Amino acid sequence: MAFKTLSKSEKSYIQTSLQAPSPLRADGRSIHQFRAITLQTGVVPIANGSAQLNLGRSSDESMGGTEVLAAARLEVEDIGVDAGGGGGRVVCAVSCSPAAYSYLSAAALDDLQHDYSAVLNDVLSHASLRPPNLGIIPSRKAWLLTLDLMILSDAGNVYDALFMAARAVLWDTRVPRTRAIEYRPDKREGGKGGGDEMDVDSEPHSGLDTRRSKAPAIDFELEDHWDDGAVLGGREAWPVSVTLNLFPGVHFLDATTQEEAATPLRLVLIFSFPTRSPAALHGMHLLGTGDTDLAQIESLVKDGEKYALEIYTALNAKLKDEELRRTEKVRLKFSAAR
Amino acid sequence: MITFSSPYSLVNQRGADADADEDVYMNDDEASEVGNVKITSPGESITSSRAFMRGHGTYVDCDEVVASVAGIIERVNKLVTVRALRTRYNPEVGDLVIGRITEVQPRRWKVDANARQDAVLMLSSVNLPGGVQRRKLESDELQMRNFFEEGDLLVAEVQAFFADGAMSLHTRSLKYGKLRNGQLVSVPPVLIRRLKSHFCTLPSGVDLILGLNGYIWISKHVPENEKEGEEGFDAEAVYSNQNDDIDDATRTAIAQISNIIRVLASRSVPITDAIVLDAYEWVIEHDSDVKELLLEDAADALIAAVTMKKELAEQY
Repeated sequence: MAFKTLSKSEKSYIQTSLQAPSPLRADGRSIHQFRAITLQTGVVPIANGSAQLNLGRSSDESMGGTEVLAAARLEVEDIGVDAGGGGGRVVCAVSCSPAAYSYLSAAALDDLQHDYSAVLNDVLSHASLRPPNLGIIPSRKAWLLTLDLMILSDAGNVYDALFMAARAVLWDTRVPRTRAIEYRPDKREGGKGGGDEMDVDSEPHSGLDTRRSKAPAIDFELEDHWDDGAVLGGREAWPVSVTLNLFPGVHFLDATTQEEAATPLRLVLIFSFPTRSPAALHGMHLLGTGDTDLAQIESLVKDGEKYALEIYTALNAKLKDEELRRTEKVRLKFSAAR
Repeated sequence: MITFSSPYSLVNQRGADADADEDVYMNDDEASEVGNVKITSPGESITSSRAFMRGHGTYVDCDEVVASVAGIIERVNKLVTVRALRTRYNPEVGDLVIGRITEVQPRRWKVDANARQDAVLMLSSVNLPGGVQRRKLESDELQMRNFFEEGDLLVAEVQAFFADGAMSLHTRSLKYGKLRNGQLVSVPPVLIRRLKSHFCTLPSGVDLILGLNGYIWISKHVPENEKEGEEGFDAEAVYSNQNDDIDDATRTAIAQISNIIRVLASRSVPITDAIVLDAYEWVIEHDSDVKELLLEDAADALIAAVTMKKELAEQY
């Protein structure tokens, strides 16, 4: 159900419930509790990585919850000599289904899409998170990773859902294995000079050398390998976000649409937890019309890190489960085919 | 605290395999039949178009009337229609609905009532301050936002239809009007049955208004004798945006009942005051926590208990 506005009494009902000494939410959750999340990876067969995430729907309902469908596609891109660090880029685009925002005009929908895309792009395409194995041939060719996310329905807390889906996709993405090809002109051919006999049986020599070599490669070919390719380098570092909904003196997580409408200020914190180094804050956004002071932000960031770590741990466990499930499925398929 | 799970399709894959035999059995009939009701799905051919006329929810393809929606087949003489199961609210005169103001226009409000078109509430069909018999003045037109403004929720009755099918509402009864002191739950409109009264009072001080358009208002109970405007119609109170003081116990009960209704709706159980009351009693008996109902097991147990009780009641 689309909410353009809440009535004043609904708003004040939600606000007083949350600010009461024993806070209570419309669905009985405690203030730091998330709704149930369902996640499945590998939902789009032609993509290099994909995931579908639903936040807030119990498993036997057919609708409801914030639903995000995300997919990553790798394309080869020519890069200039000046592209440092082996090249490769990540580009994110968020699109909102008009069905999810039926009350918005086309222009307003564009604005919203742009807002979401900008936040995701700022964080995920940043050089500090760029996977090392996106390069194919140094300063010549590299993979361009296009990450498309589609919001199929919105029931609140879109930012967290988007980042979780993005992380699931990037975790799931496989980079095809490539082999560099070098062109080396055949010297034997040139040295022969004007031999008059036709050497029809001689072994045809290809000018293309597919052996691994240090010489400057000109092109590449795809290796024929049993799996889809290698995972993205440093995939543990992809960030998760946590949205703190702020009231004076209290904050809560995972707001529904109605709660969002009743919240004056929201703080989106984007954390990554690289292995063997402390958590890194990758982005911070304040949304809404309320105000806050800097001293408060500091403690909120600390709290946020705690929640983000929780999301991160839970998401990682789920992603590993998904990987297991899918390899199991492939194994069963193969054994059935034999 | 944060849990991830797999979507339904994965969890129940095994169950779906077991159903395969049943599907074969079902295909023996042209359309699946449950009791006397014929259910159809999109693309299923219903009958020959030579003998029957196509109605809503159907189209003609190669001399066959084919369903375009999933729903129940209905036939009136030679007219075949399919009534969709998942649809927006189809208003009828006299229905009690809950709506949200979307727009304030000259002498009228536009109201979202979960129907295909926004409903209209005329300034002449609301109670104005100063008595029912009072004529409406120009000054009333200028202060329409004092009565209802964008986003406000109201309970009203369907009065009539306009030529284009949009419904006209009225709130000319002390039972109707602006809603406060509670929260809204939305369910599919097909789940709401027509009842003797759509205003119910549950124990532990909670009022329930079941709008036929699938919007349900759950609020703090207001005793009959304290209702606004008994005699003198206190406009100040009727059109107030201020909530009363609501204690924690009532808030908990309101949250509890909204969860019950969500669970019932997710399992497609028709919602009546009796069912909600049964479910609420069950929850109190089992002394479960508010948020526990969001878990699968508790919800399944609740549904099992409530539907069993209903079946027993029907037997005797």
